[in-house]
Amino acid sequence: MQSWRRKSVWLALSASWLLLVLLGGFSLLRLALPPRPRPRAPQGWPRWLDADLLQSFSQPGELPEDAAQPPRAPHGGSCNWGSCFDTSKCRGDGLKVFVYPAAGPISETHRKILASIEDSRFHTFSPAGACLLLLLSLDAQTGECSSMPLQWNRGRNHLVLRLHPASCPRTFQLGQAMVAEASPTVDSFRAGFDVALPFLPEAHPLRGGAPGQLRQHSPQRGVALLALEEERGGWRTAGSNSSACPWDGRCEQDPGPGQTQRWEMLPNATFCLISGHRPQAASRFLQALQAGCIPVLLSPRWELPFSEVIDWTKAAIIADERLLLQVLAALQEMSPAQVLALRQQTQFLWDAYFSSVEKVIHTTLEVIQDRIFGTSAHPSLLWNSPPGALLALSTFSTSPQDFPFYHLQQGSRPEGRFSALIWVGASGQPPLKLIQAVAGSQHCAQILVLWSNERPLPSRWTETAVPLTVIDGCRKVSDRFFPYSTIRTDAILSLDARSSLSTSEVDFAFVVWQSFPERMVGFLTSSHFWDEAHGGWGYTAERTNEFSMVLTMAAFYHRYYHTLFTHSLPKALRTLADEAPTCVDVLMNFLVAAVTKLPPIKVPYGKQRQEAAPLVPGGPDTGPKLQAPDPNCINQIAAAFGHMPLRSSRLRLDPVLFKDPVSVQRKKYRSLEKP
Amino acid sequence: MCASVKYNIRGPALIPRMKTKHRIYYITLFSIVLLGLIATGMFQFWPHSIESSNDWNVEKRSVRDVPVVRLPADSPIPERGDLSCRMHTCFDVYRCGFNPKNKIKVYIYALKKYVDDFGVPVSNTISREYNELLTAISDSDYYTDDISRACLFVPSIDVLNQNTLRIKETAQALAQLSRWDRGTNHLLFNMLPGGPPDYNTALDVPRDRALLAGGGFSTWTYRQGYDVSIPVYSPLSAEVDLPEKGPGPRRYFLLSSQVGLHPEYREDVEALQVKHGESVLVLDKCTNLSEGVLSVRKRCHKHQVFDYPQVLQEATFCVVLRGAQLGQAVLSDVLQAGCVPVVIADSYILPFSEVLDWKRASVVVPEEKMSDVYSILQSIPQRQIEEMQRQARWFWEAYFQSIKAIALATLQIINDRIYPYAAISYEEWNDPPAVKWGSVSNPLFLPLIPPQSQGFTAIVLTYDRVESLFRVITEVSKVPSLSKLLVVWNNQNKNPPEDSLWPKIRVPLKVVRTAENKLSNRFFPYDEIETEAVLAIDDDIIMLTSDELQFGYEVWREFPDRLVGYPGRLHLWDHEMNKWKYESEWTNEVSMVLTGAAFYHKYFNYLYTYKMPGDIKNWVDAHMNCEDIAMNFLVANVTGKAVIKVTPRKKFKCPECTAIDGLSLDQTHMVERSECINKFASVFGTMPLKVVEHRADPVLYKDDFPEKLKSFPNIGSL
Repeated sequence: MQSWRRKSVWLALSASWLLLVLLGGFSLLRLALPPRPRPRAPQGWPRWLDADLLQSFSQPGELPEDAAQPPRAPHGGSCNWGSCFDTSKCRGDGLKVFVYPAAGPISETHRKILASIEDSRFHTFSPAGACLLLLLSLDAQTGECSSMPLQWNRGRNHLVLRLHPASCPRTFQLGQAMVAEASPTVDSFRAGFDVALPFLPEAHPLRGGAPGQLRQHSPQRGVALLALEEERGGWRTAGSNSSACPWDGRCEQDPGPGQTQRWEMLPNATFCLISGHRPQAASRFLQALQAGCIPVLLSPRWELPFSEVIDWTKAAIIADERLLLQVLAALQEMSPAQVLALRQQTQFLWDAYFSSVEKVIHTTLEVIQDRIFGTSAHPSLLWNSPPGALLALSTFSTSPQDFPFYHLQQGSRPEGRFSALIWVGASGQPPLKLIQAVAGSQHCAQILVLWSNERPLPSRWTETAVPLTVIDGCRKVSDRFFPYSTIRTDAILSLDARSSLSTSEVDFAFVVWQSFPERMVGFLTSSHFWDEAHGGWGYTAERTNEFSMVLTMAAFYHRYYHTLFTHSLPKALRTLADEAPTCVDVLMNFLVAAVTKLPPIKVPYGKQRQEAAPLVPGGPDTGPKLQAPDPNCINQIAAAFGHMPLRSSRLRLDPVLFKDPVSVQRKKYRSLEKP
Repeated sequence: MCASVKYNIRGPALIPRMKTKHRIYYITLFSIVLLGLIATGMFQFWPHSIESSNDWNVEKRSVRDVPVVRLPADSPIPERGDLSCRMHTCFDVYRCGFNPKNKIKVYIYALKKYVDDFGVPVSNTISREYNELLTAISDSDYYTDDISRACLFVPSIDVLNQNTLRIKETAQALAQLSRWDRGTNHLLFNMLPGGPPDYNTALDVPRDRALLAGGGFSTWTYRQGYDVSIPVYSPLSAEVDLPEKGPGPRRYFLLSSQVGLHPEYREDVEALQVKHGESVLVLDKCTNLSEGVLSVRKRCHKHQVFDYPQVLQEATFCVVLRGAQLGQAVLSDVLQAGCVPVVIADSYILPFSEVLDWKRASVVVPEEKMSDVYSILQSIPQRQIEEMQRQARWFWEAYFQSIKAIALATLQIINDRIYPYAAISYEEWNDPPAVKWGSVSNPLFLPLIPPQSQGFTAIVLTYDRVESLFRVITEVSKVPSLSKLLVVWNNQNKNPPEDSLWPKIRVPLKVVRTAENKLSNRFFPYDEIETEAVLAIDDDIIMLTSDELQFGYEVWREFPDRLVGYPGRLHLWDHEMNKWKYESEWTNEVSMVLTGAAFYHKYFNYLYTYKMPGDIKNWVDAHMNCEDIAMNFLVANVTGKAVIKVTPRKKFKCPECTAIDGLSLDQTHMVERSECINKFASVFGTMPLKVVEHRADPVLYKDDFPEKLKSFPNIGSL
């Protein structure tokens, strides 16, 4: 019994000891041995004990109760927009520009630029009514220099435009005049007041201009990563091994024959390394843009062109030349997504603002107009995504959703309704059948009849489910594309009184338009071609395997194109359309194609088999026959645009089950297939 | 009672029976053990807190105990700021060196208290806000405590408010910082610059080359691309919780809430009120408040008392006039209230103007146009006003709300200058989250029709159906625009046939062998793909005619950012089951195309392989199904556009090919495909697929027109 007790006591004791050793041992060990230095966590800013007691940096009552005379900033001879430009003259119709006539004989370029400004919507002939007075200083070689103009007024509200740097010695004080010049140095540039222009080569095209060189979105395989500018002109592509060469001319001692490309040639590489020191390098910058070669600018000392509005970080890499190796490493590791985006942006910017002298000048004026407009200026999105601010007029709207181009970026959708605009031309017959067909569409919001002939307006119209408005036009063909304020929907279905459409054709075409709100969606087409025999463009309405224009006698398009047609086209072109009515189709197609750079869209048209050419001029009920396609017209328009914007398409969009051998009951647009 | 009695009986019974000597021994032993246990127990609980309280003592000191540094009267003063400084002239970028994360490293000097020869302190040691600011930097990814690796140095000398410091002595304190070196790469934060009477718009402390993050710069003092313009922090941001108020018309059109306006300006705004009546409200400080009411939080108009800043939420536009200083804390309050600031302060550089697009959130009016303010504002369309209200609130939330937000935005701007290729884009800075979420930026946004001459690369995924594969190769090689054929040999157990056995075709034929039999191998961005256009084709698609394929390529050229395929499929919402359903019946709509044969841009191969969200890729490989649905989701999600179905082609397999149990097989197939759609929609967090009602046919398809004159006559079979 006793041993049992003793055993249990011993057991309890040893258990306790064990516990003691286990629990205490470690603690004792920790006390005895100095702790090993643990990997040091970064010691941050201390958490102060009395952090809550600290005083605020500004005490509420501390600010001066009544400030002394509000300090005016020292002007120091320098100007900014607020202090040196008088916007009160620009109230009303926005920017009106007067151009000083040249003093002596002028060069051809000068004359063309004058003509181009005179053609633009900004121009005015009276210096008194102008809010901006433009002094052109253009010619680099003739050394022609303007003397102090009459209305100078210390340069107030003047813009001195110098396309080529330092073409003129300063014969007079610039005073309060703004300067638009090529690649101004960062130090002399007055941000928000001066305008930085691109450095244009002598032979820069006046109008139209060469399109960008980019033929595909992503860089071609095997193309060099990097091109370096040569001091003598031209570009040298660098392999990956030579990219580590300390750039700055030191390696260029022996370029070796054959390595150097000709001066005219554009770089063929993904990135183009451009020095920021020499202003001449600025011309390389443009070459790189045109070639779709992403410019890598090393510490530029000059202001980038139109930097006030163009977000250059989307198209170029502006890096520190001292970190060249890091930059090169970063370029090599740049993600395909980033390269893709930068490349495409170079092309968009080139095409939108730089490819011709005309574009450069119009962009300059647009920049100044934006300053005057203030809150109703172009939002940044309009400047920096296709089609660009010259083609997206801020007078139309400042909300990107109102334009057909930005639905994706805005996460918005085009409206689900359209307005039918029926032009009643020479025939003078109220198109009652057509009105019924169109009004039958569930998407139709309103019908507008544009009465454009000598006969009196009919007093009675058919009853329709949708509101019907009659507009008495001024008998001009270009009326058809006037931005009537009565048009309240985004989509317009433009019709001619002689067109005949069925409700289901209208419905389907409109549903297609909703997927392509920036394009024209039409039923009948024509195509352009290069006529070798005459050495000019021609076009035909004959049915072919491809097309590049849709007839506006029956087409859906966005309401914005009316604004663009009326306000951005040169007056001469609109007059041309009025004189030769068939031209108006061509003109509208040119306009839309120049904006979208894409072909229009064709949808099926059911009547084709009944009448050989129903919409094509010369139907049974037409009065005077419309002229056959006039090659003169397309060539004149192409000349005015400076290039051929039309693109051809080889497809037609049909309903999914179109003419498939399946029960007609399954088909949504079954009447499209009726023979 | 019973138990205790028992215990009493048994308790003593244990010990008294032992010998007394033993008893004492045992009792002592027990007590020692007990004591030891208690001590250990205490040790277990105490030591940690003792240790951590040691740490605590190390870190959490009092500001009053920081080391004192005596500045001799003749210690050097830095030169005045150099107005011509730019990043490439005054900033030593070498210190930032190579950094794989493209993040600058910021070092903060230890806090010291500076006194002059007479022991008089140079300034308040540190303000609450500056302490917050340094804490924010220290908690961020930018922070380093290794001075030798730092690229940017932030002195702990508080210069937020120039009025609380002695200029010369503060400059001397800056100059003696261990890495000062003329201020190179040093960043000073200042919100209230200048002092009476002329109130400079930049900090007056000579600072040589140091960067200045300043509130209230004017165009004359701001060094574009070097300094950073920051907001003047408003303490009300933290004190007052103003819930976001939806955009829309508010009670007052224009409100002026600033106190201490210069009389000249006050006259001007009051003239506005006289002219436009009720819709303009001009507030001033209250003169007749009872004791104990915080005058900072009240504003008065005549005898009417308003709560500030709550009253700002009642106005559409709020005037932010310059005071003695250009930068005003009221700007922050106004933004917080979602009121559109009307900034009337000539030459003021708005906060973070290097990256923020203030046109979207404010109206800037020249001082001399003050009388026209009302008409200027009235010309702004209502929709734009609402946009501005939303934008104003978003700017406050992202960049004004706290000292931390201000500090991090400043560092991000400097970071973007140093690592421009990793910079944050305009959209990321400016678009509110709602817009970012809803918008799509198409990676192939440039409208471009690639030249036909480039052709396409056909990628045939095959396992072991050599015979069928060879037929496909022969058929596809007849397509005029084919420029290369790539066979992806997905069978690891069997070698591809010998070179001599392959069909002889006019274009290069390459065989790539894969490491694993995975479906996603078909969408791998192989180096061998040289063209932009890719035709993915199964090894059993022998029914497509050359015309169909060529036409498919032509259609892709016109829509290079889309998936262009033959049989179309649709997703539908099943209202009974409350989930998505896969549909392959005759429908009038399509939202997907099968990739058994489809053209697409090779960039999508890269996206599929490296950027597919979530575990979709693994799911596809595990289920050996739905890779085509995944591709449809991916492309639609990234481009925001629908697929293009070409030609009437309805299915790839001939209808009679389905075996006897075809029906049930078909059904399980459909169930599985539906499951894929639901799975992918949940991974994407949205349904990206777009439904359209059109398909692409050749221009003259089924037109009454001589067949031999049609470009693509051999099109139309199902």
